[in-house]
Amino acid sequence: MLRFDRVFRDGGGFDTLLVMLALGYLVVFSAFPLIYNVVMSFQEVDLFSLASFDRPFVGWDNYSEVMGERVFTPIFWNTVQFVGLSVFFQLTIGFGLALFFQQDFPGATWLRGLFLAGWILPGLVVGAVWGWILAGDFGVLNYVLQSLGLIEGKIFWLSDPSVSLYSGIIANIWLGIPFNMILLSVGLAAIPADVYEAAELDGASRLHRFLTITLPLMRAQLGAVISLGVIFTLQQFDLFAALTRGGPSNASNVLQYWAWQLSFEEYRIGQGSVVSVLMILFVVIVAFVYVRSTRNEHAG
Amino acid sequence: MTQQITLSGIEKHYGGYHALKGINLDIPKGQFVALVGPSGCGKSTLLRTIAGLETISGGRIEIAGRDVTAVPPRGRDIAMVFQSYALYPHLTVEGNMTYALRLKGLSKAEAKARAAEIAEITGLSALLQRYPRELSGGQRQRVAMGRAIVRDPAAFLFDEPLSNLDAALRVHMRAEIRKLHNRLGATSVYVTHDQIEAMTMADHVVVMRAGVVEQQGAPLELYDRPANQFVAGFIGSPAMNFVPGRVGEDEQSVALDLAGSPVLRFAGRRPSGEAVTVGLRPEHLELGGAGGNSLTLPVALVERTGSASYIVSDTDLMIAATERVADGLGQVTVHIASERVHLFHPTTGVALR
Amino acid sequence: MLAKNLWTRWVLLAVALVMVGFYLFPVYWMYITALKTNTETFQNPPTFWPHDPQFRFAEVWVKYGLDSYIKNSAIIAAGTVALVVILGTGCAYALARVRSVWMDLVLFTVLMMQVLPSSLMITPIFVAYNQVGMMDWPRTGVVLAQAAKVLPLYIVLVRAAFTQIPKELEEAALVDGNSRMGAFLFIAVPLARNGIMVTAILIFMQSLGEYVYARSLITDRALQPATVGLQFLTGPNASDWSGIMTYSAIYVTPILILFVALQRKIVSGLTSGALK
Repeated sequence: MLRFDRVFRDGGGFDTLLVMLALGYLVVFSAFPLIYNVVMSFQEVDLFSLASFDRPFVGWDNYSEVMGERVFTPIFWNTVQFVGLSVFFQLTIGFGLALFFQQDFPGATWLRGLFLAGWILPGLVVGAVWGWILAGDFGVLNYVLQSLGLIEGKIFWLSDPSVSLYSGIIANIWLGIPFNMILLSVGLAAIPADVYEAAELDGASRLHRFLTITLPLMRAQLGAVISLGVIFTLQQFDLFAALTRGGPSNASNVLQYWAWQLSFEEYRIGQGSVVSVLMILFVVIVAFVYVRSTRNEHAG
Repeated sequence: MTQQITLSGIEKHYGGYHALKGINLDIPKGQFVALVGPSGCGKSTLLRTIAGLETISGGRIEIAGRDVTAVPPRGRDIAMVFQSYALYPHLTVEGNMTYALRLKGLSKAEAKARAAEIAEITGLSALLQRYPRELSGGQRQRVAMGRAIVRDPAAFLFDEPLSNLDAALRVHMRAEIRKLHNRLGATSVYVTHDQIEAMTMADHVVVMRAGVVEQQGAPLELYDRPANQFVAGFIGSPAMNFVPGRVGEDEQSVALDLAGSPVLRFAGRRPSGEAVTVGLRPEHLELGGAGGNSLTLPVALVERTGSASYIVSDTDLMIAATERVADGLGQVTVHIASERVHLFHPTTGVALR
Repeated sequence: MLAKNLWTRWVLLAVALVMVGFYLFPVYWMYITALKTNTETFQNPPTFWPHDPQFRFAEVWVKYGLDSYIKNSAIIAAGTVALVVILGTGCAYALARVRSVWMDLVLFTVLMMQVLPSSLMITPIFVAYNQVGMMDWPRTGVVLAQAAKVLPLYIVLVRAAFTQIPKELEEAALVDGNSRMGAFLFIAVPLARNGIMVTAILIFMQSLGEYVYARSLITDRALQPATVGLQFLTGPNASDWSGIMTYSAIYVTPILILFVALQRKIVSGLTSGALK
């Protein structure tokens, strides 16, 4: 007993205790739900068997039912489009801004920081504000586009099935730009100035310096930012709740929102779990690649 | 004299790495001991095991007659001065100095009075309300010392405390720490990689290499009678010259493996024909061939510091001369007393006498 | 990075201002709409500056029952932060201090936990809550789930703050007579307090905007937070835009003020920990 006390007061037991406290919590509230999710995806779970511990296992039925769903394919491709376009534009705009604010002018750092205001706002508020900007009849975006002569009639961003997905993408790009920009700025700042000076003395042009120095040296950072962008985009839920709610008739629905709808609007919880399991699997793979690559970099 | 710190058979493993190999060390009360060696020799690890900051894999540590092997740092009654000083940045100088006292259970007033008293000794009185970031490097060093002294511990441990100071200040603080030690009469263990620091400050020097004590003793003892080639090369500056040689038939002289095979007499006898490594300290090679036992060397380079001239021969032997040497010296003849010629075993490096 | 003359610097500043203005237009539009009358809101062409500014904050506050919403948001956010700080600070510290295969594994696990989307975790949490009777305390349920969601981020960022503290300081504290606990509480935590505070504020702001868990777990309107209340008003059929924007403005203004005040610290805190 005395030895026990000593290990915790003065030895490595103290660290173990501290880690266990947090890890235990995460096991109960993150790891357990994760596993439970997988279990439920093989069970029949509905409103009535919800609170019961004795639920029938149905094998792969839920999976085949979800895959067989008519809307599965369009929602899947919506998700791919949502992630692909969001990440691409977040990254390019964010990188452009990072490069711009890397230059030396008064207030550069402070102004750059202001962009994070977009990131700090609750997703639901961002969705509400964009919903208003994108509104069909009275939205300011339609007005601006019309005044510039870019469009003829009004675009009904939120209710036209052919464009409603883009409303979510536009808002999500806006939301993701700051984070991309800040992370890439960190990477840019880490490139020593003398490397550029040496290249300049060697006669490299601005574009040449970007292609031969900035890009190669930023490769790891870009990889990290892309992975994080994919992860965060797949987490995006609030914007859909505020903007289109997946509609009209699933035209703007994505898997993470659909999973929730299955569970909480249709009470097909088993099927909702299936979608969650598939998505989580994908997110975890991306995260695994990301974490592995950053870890290795530190070791090397 | 009673032993203040006793280390017996200290072993330390880091995974597969054997950092300390059976270290034995007795430190009498009031002695100033320096642990010296190249980086990675285990001297800092040894100090940290005395402090209790590292657990040991085997052996026994006693401080002031008490077995503290399993006692955590806070129970060992030792004070430590760190290389980075480790001053608490969120506390004033006074706060730094009273921190341990308050933990010991002294009242605020008592602790403050004690800190003021020590601040007087260490010349910190005017700085008590300052924060570490407002102090110069030398002042921080002083606070680190003050913080240790105020504890009145069973032993002081120093982990390269002067290596962050510039050269001039280092020499100054060296003297100051030693004076303080004389005044307080405390037991001190001082880790340094600088053999001059060790030689000038310590009563007793422990030379370490690769987790082993190579030799320990009084500073001049190590200089005069190094136990092996490593200690001989480590102690003394510039470093001792080593030349291969072979003992002659008279068993009292050695032929050096240099052009012309010059022969030097040495004190003592070795079997004829034995292969040896001959050690010659640069400062023991005196210019001029008077008295025999001399050798003539072609000069490759002369370096002058003003107080001394370092003559480097074509075979990289170094001669330290106090007199000024003229330019364009083709060769030089030097004399060495026979009792200053060191012999070492050519493979094990053990001193041969 | 390259020498610039004064002129270019000012031109760059001007361009930067335009870009910031362009980017923050949605925030501007929110405030402007909040100040407009209902008629002016639906005027075509839209006005970019209100002719007749209305301060309808009190009216909207009462009309949409914001007192209860905002109170619940604050309770959820405060509860989450309290739980996360208590659970996460020690773990972050240990992860910063101890280097071993086990700790690397823990860190890896924590990093992985960071990426689990709330919208996908909510299904099992909801079912499990129903099974153990947690649905009787839905707000507590949201706090517990949200804490698990943000705990990894807190650990990662605060760990970065702890790694900045030299190990010797704690060793000095141990030699001075502290236990590990004492060295942690009286030396390490005070020295990392900036990092801890900024991260806690960040977590607080994030939790103020929590939506998925609250929407799914809380059915009683009196316990719902502001996000859920706002969601009822929005969507494809929203009409009272001026009211919605006023609601949003009331809700996010404290967050924005806090952000601008702490901007520098938040940015540096984020960047130090985000990629490690």
